[in-house]
Amino acid sequence: MVKPVSNVVIVGGGTAGWLTAGVIAARHQGRMKSGFTVTLIESPDIKIIGVGEGTWPTLRSTLEKMGVSETDLFRHCDAAFKQGARFARWTTGADDDGYYHPLMLPQGFHQVNLVPHWLEDGGSRSFCDSVTPQGALCDDGLAPKTIATPEYQAMANYAYHLDAGKFAPFLQKHCTEKLGVRHVLADVQGVKQAENGDIESLSLKQGGEIAGELFIDCTGFASLLLGKTLGVGFKSCSDILFCDTAMAVQVPYPTPDDAMASHTISTAHSAGWTWDIGLPTRRGVGYVYSSRHISDDEAADELMRYIGPQAKGLTPRKIPIRGGYRETFWKNNVVAVGLASGFLEPLESSAIVLVELSAKLIAEQMPANREVMDIVARRFNEVNHYRWGRIIDFLKLHYVLTQRPEKFWRDNTDPATVPDRLKDLLKLWKYQPPWFLEEFDRLEEVFPAASYQYVLYGMGFRTAVDGDDNDQTRSLARQQMQENAAMTQKMRKQLPKNRDLVRKIQEYGLQPI
Amino acid sequence: MTNIALLDIKAHRDLCVETGVSARFGDAKRFVPVIVGEFVHVAAHYPILLSKDAETGGFFCGAMLGIDEDENLFLTEGQPFETYRPLSLQRGPFFTSGSDIAIDLDHPRVGGGQALFDVEGQPSLYLKSIMNLFRDLKPGLDQTRVFVETLLSLKLIEPIDISLAFDDGSRRRLEDLYTVNQEALNALPDDKVVELFRRGYLRAIYLMIASLKQLPMLAQKKNARLAR
Repeated sequence: MVKPVSNVVIVGGGTAGWLTAGVIAARHQGRMKSGFTVTLIESPDIKIIGVGEGTWPTLRSTLEKMGVSETDLFRHCDAAFKQGARFARWTTGADDDGYYHPLMLPQGFHQVNLVPHWLEDGGSRSFCDSVTPQGALCDDGLAPKTIATPEYQAMANYAYHLDAGKFAPFLQKHCTEKLGVRHVLADVQGVKQAENGDIESLSLKQGGEIAGELFIDCTGFASLLLGKTLGVGFKSCSDILFCDTAMAVQVPYPTPDDAMASHTISTAHSAGWTWDIGLPTRRGVGYVYSSRHISDDEAADELMRYIGPQAKGLTPRKIPIRGGYRETFWKNNVVAVGLASGFLEPLESSAIVLVELSAKLIAEQMPANREVMDIVARRFNEVNHYRWGRIIDFLKLHYVLTQRPEKFWRDNTDPATVPDRLKDLLKLWKYQPPWFLEEFDRLEEVFPAASYQYVLYGMGFRTAVDGDDNDQTRSLARQQMQENAAMTQKMRKQLPKNRDLVRKIQEYGLQPI
Repeated sequence: MTNIALLDIKAHRDLCVETGVSARFGDAKRFVPVIVGEFVHVAAHYPILLSKDAETGGFFCGAMLGIDEDENLFLTEGQPFETYRPLSLQRGPFFTSGSDIAIDLDHPRVGGGQALFDVEGQPSLYLKSIMNLFRDLKPGLDQTRVFVETLLSLKLIEPIDISLAFDDGSRRRLEDLYTVNQEALNALPDDKVVELFRRGYLRAIYLMIASLKQLPMLAQKKNARLAR
C-alpha cells in the first residue's frame, strides 16, 4: 500500500507561505475531516521580507476562492486599487515620454487584433487610448469600480497595491481561523531525510518534530529545504537583467487627502528605474538599479531627486536583489514557492502572481501519493521553467526598445544580453503583431499577448502592415475602436476618484453581490 | 442644494408647505425607499425591489414607480394621486434630527400651501400628521435596515434582470435591481425559516415576491404613455 499524501508542511510565514497555505487548504477543505492537514512552520525571529506591494488581477480570484472578504483586505492591508503601470521616460527619457501597460485587454481582443488597424490609421494616437479606457481612467486618478460594485467584481480590470507587511498577518489570521491551517511558531533545526533524499520530518529548536509527505519551501532567499537541504542550484539571470540592488523608502502624503494614483508609476533613471506605489496612508517608492553602473550614493541622490521635497528627512533602505531562479522547483517531496524559488526585479509585479500560480498548481495537482509525485513534479518543473523564462523575456522587452543614451541602457540593448526566444519574437513582430500566435497558447500565460502589445507599441515599435490584409476585419475593428471611445467617455463620468472609493470601502464596505 | 434647519416655532411660525403631488415638488421619482411596515400597502400597487445606495453601496428596499429616470408613471399633473403614496414621498421636506423635526428650507415644497402652525402657534393638523408619519418612519428605517441585513446574511438577495420591449419599438434594460432569491429561500433550514417567520420577515419576503406581479402592470402603463 502506497502512503497517501495527507500532511502538507509549509516552512516560512511570509506572503508566499500563507498564500500557499490558504490556496491549498481552501482547495482541500473537504478532505480535512478525514485527516488531511496543512501545517505552516514560522520562525518567531525571522522578519518577513514583504516583497511586492504590487499584484496582478489574479489575486482577486485567489482571495475570493480562499473565502477572504475584499472589504477586509482594504481595511486591514492598507490596500488600494491598481489598474496597471505607467512607464515614464523608458523610451527617450524626455519629459513627455510615457506609456501605459493597463490591465484591461484591448476592446474585442478575442475577436479582432486592433494593432494592424491602429497602425494603418497612422499609429499617431496612443495605442492604449485607442483600444482601452484604462489609460484615461489612470490619467484622471479614477477607481476601477463604484461603491455599488460587488466585492471582487470590476468595471475596469484591477489588482491591488497593498502593504506586504500587513498582508501576511492578514492571511495568517484567515488561514488559521477559517481554513484550519495549523500554525507552528518554531525554528527548523534539523531535517530528517530518507535514503532517497525525501524529507521525512523536520525537528524544531523549540522541541518536537513535524512529519509530512509533502514539504513546501517558503523560506525566502534562504531556500532552506530545496536549496540548502537538497542542494538545488540557483540560475542567475544577471546576464539579461542587470539590476542587482534596490533602495526603498516610504513617502508620506503632504496631506491625507492627496490624490492617490490608481496605477504603479515606473520611471526610468540613469541606471535602472523607480517604482512609485500609492497606498492610502503613504507612497512606497524605490529605485532598482545596477550597481555595476551606478554607486549607492549616486542612486540615493537620484531617488531623492525623484521624490522631491517630500524626501526631506527620509532614509532609504538598501536591499540587495539577486535575479534568477532555482534549477529545479520541485525535487523529491520538496517544492519551493516564492523567493525560495527565485526572484526577479519587480518591474511587472510578478512575485505574488507566481506564488499564486504555483500554489494553485500544487493544490490542483496535489499528488495522491509518493508513487505519482515525480510525475506531478516533472510537470510542475516544466510549467515553471516556461513561466520564469517567459517573464524574463517580457521584462527584458521593456529594456531592449529604449533609445536612452546612458551606458546602462546601451548595455541593455546589446544583442548578447537578449534571450534567443525574445530575439526571434522581435524579428517576427516586425511583420506580424503579437496576438493569438503559437507563442501564446499556454494556459495561464502570466503575460498575455495584450501585454506585449501595450509595451511594444507604447515604446514606439512598428510592425509593417499590409492594408489588403486588413480588409476583412476593418469594419469590425472600427466598430471596436468606436465602442472603446464611447466606453471611455461613459466610465470617465461614472467612476469615482481612487482615494474617495478606497475611503468609502473602509467606511461602508463593499456588498457581497 | 439643501438647507436643513430644526423646526422652530419662532422662526417658522408662518411657514407653509405644499402638500399636492407634482413633478415640481419632487414627486417624479422612479424608485423610492420604502419600509417593511408599509410593504402591504406598497405591494398592492408597485413592485418592491432592492437597489444600492449610490453613496454607500448599501442595499435598500424601494418601490418602483417608473421605468425611466425621474419618471413616476402614477403621477398625472393636476390630478390627485390615487394609489398609495410611500412615506418617503409623504414626508415632503421634513427630516428628523434626534427626536426633533427638521425641514429643508430649500425644498421646492416650501413656500405656499398648508401652514405648519395655527394662529395660536400650535402645530397644525398637517404638521401633526407629519409628526405621526415620523413615528412610523423613523423606527421603520432601522427595522428595514436590519431586515435587509438579514436577507444579505442568508444570501437571499439576487440581481434581477428586467428587459422590456414596448410597442413603439423601444427597449429598456433595468439595471442595479435585486429581488429575493426564491430558490435560496426554499432551501433555508427549518430553524432559519421559523426565525424569519417570528420576526415577521417571512411575510415581508412574500410581499416582495408577490409584488413582482406589478412589473408587467408598470410596463403596460409605460407602454400606454409611449403610445400617447
